[in-house]
Amino acid sequence: MIADTLVQTYKVSFDDNNQEFALSGSMRPERGAEMEACIRLLETSIASIRGTFYINVKRLVRLNNVAFHALAGALLKAADERPDVKISIITSSVIGWSTKKFGTLTAKNPRIVVEEYDSEFYPGQSFLEEGGFVPVLRTQTKLTWKHERSLLPRHGLTPGVTMADICCGIGDFAVLVAKEFAPSRIVALDHSKSSLAYARQVASEFDIGGIEYIYGDAAEMLLEDGQFDFVSCRHALQIFNKPEMIVNELVRICKPGGRVYVSNEKISQCLGEPRGPSIQWTYEQLSKLFADFDMDLEFGPKSYQALQKAGLEDIRIESFMVTNRDGDAQAFADMVMAWEEMFAGGMCEKRGDDAAFVEKFRRGFEDHIAAALHPGGYAGWPVWVASGRKPL
Amino acid sequence: MDLGAAPMGAGDYAELLEFDMDMDGFASNWAYCDRVSTYFARMISHNRSDSLLYSNLFSSALNELLETVYRLHAPSGRFACSVARKGASERVTLTVPVDAQTAEFYRSAVKVLNEGDVASRYHSALFTDGPLQPNIGLLELAVDYAARFSIEPTDANAIRLIADLKLEESDT
Repeated sequence: MIADTLVQTYKVSFDDNNQEFALSGSMRPERGAEMEACIRLLETSIASIRGTFYINVKRLVRLNNVAFHALAGALLKAADERPDVKISIITSSVIGWSTKKFGTLTAKNPRIVVEEYDSEFYPGQSFLEEGGFVPVLRTQTKLTWKHERSLLPRHGLTPGVTMADICCGIGDFAVLVAKEFAPSRIVALDHSKSSLAYARQVASEFDIGGIEYIYGDAAEMLLEDGQFDFVSCRHALQIFNKPEMIVNELVRICKPGGRVYVSNEKISQCLGEPRGPSIQWTYEQLSKLFADFDMDLEFGPKSYQALQKAGLEDIRIESFMVTNRDGDAQAFADMVMAWEEMFAGGMCEKRGDDAAFVEKFRRGFEDHIAAALHPGGYAGWPVWVASGRKPL
Repeated sequence: MDLGAAPMGAGDYAELLEFDMDMDGFASNWAYCDRVSTYFARMISHNRSDSLLYSNLFSSALNELLETVYRLHAPSGRFACSVARKGASERVTLTVPVDAQTAEFYRSAVKVLNEGDVASRYHSALFTDGPLQPNIGLLELAVDYAARFSIEPTDANAIRLIADLKLEESDT
């Protein structure tokens, strides 16, 4: 699972702008002397900085005791010689061993501190990952699946492929794909441990095996290059402030000739009748609300260009409208009801909106619900899907 | 090198994977430690709750065991490494050709590991000046991976070193 290119090698670099010394890959030398060049760079880097010296080991997958011993010796020596410098080692719990291992240095010298990066992955999204949002995520997937199951084959999903679902959330899409398309392997990755716990519980209760739910950062995955035929990332690029970083990672883990598939919304285009103008106003405001939290819920039609910029070819894009006329008007209404609570409640409060705005904002959601349940009403939520082929 | 898998191992453990090769072959290339530990980790981790995390941890633990064997063994004989599973536990069994000196190393190392105060021994060994102690990997497994060790003689020319690991609980 870990990149073959990392098995025997490691990379060392120093970014003087950020005063960051970065180690990545696999460091398992036989003798400490093999670390000489790395240690020399470490020493010259520390000598050139002031204040805090950062050591980034987030992508240092393997480190044996020989290498640690050499690094530790150099760091402790530097900490002794430069009492004016704080050494901050940035680890990731995705690796498993690194926080504990480097944490031993703090006991030797308190000016060497270890910070685990993961809790800072995407703090702005915390309100989207609270337990209360799980039912709406399940309803959304149920509603979009009616459309996606028929269009996925056009985007490259066929039985037997190896697949990764990145930003899998509560994992229900992976379960539906497992049942419908029987991929030979599914890896589902997310940065929310609570969502993954829920996903594993659901898979266990439904006796669905073969899905590997793994914890990680979509923008810096430890999955190896070019191992999946089909890489999906649904409703996620729109809630990251640097979607291009994730797209590049999706492309990296995709096999040459495989396809990257993304889905995103253009939330301002949600519609309904009757009471169209009220509904339209609220969703335009919803788009602005997300923008204030560095999220782009208008990303849907931008997916084409995002895939193009990432170097994919044979890009296909289409949209579908989830509506109350798909067969389950109540589910549609439930979904909008949950949006209202989440967005007019938590997010507006966090932004500091006044009562008059919130009341008007809520009215549009309520009109959307009314349109969904009205005997003659029509309510819609548009979604764009796009995919591109990684060049051979 | 022979590589195989069997449905059941000894006792309650189900055997997952085993390889064996001539000791002089294994000891001819340091990179075998990394390659074997990485391969084993990938193969056995896919059905753990977080396959990537488990693979990272297992690879680290097994690599330290293999590096120890690489450095301490009799010049010839058959080296075997097997991994078996019981629930959340993984049992790594290393059959290592030994002479009198290396047999004594493994016996004393395991005795120390079972005596307590292992954490302070490990931290002291980790920051020692000069070369690393040869038992550093075993100390690390006992402290950071909560490994439990035992040792069995097989015949006059080999010992069987057993490490029981429970890595999912090490998800810190």
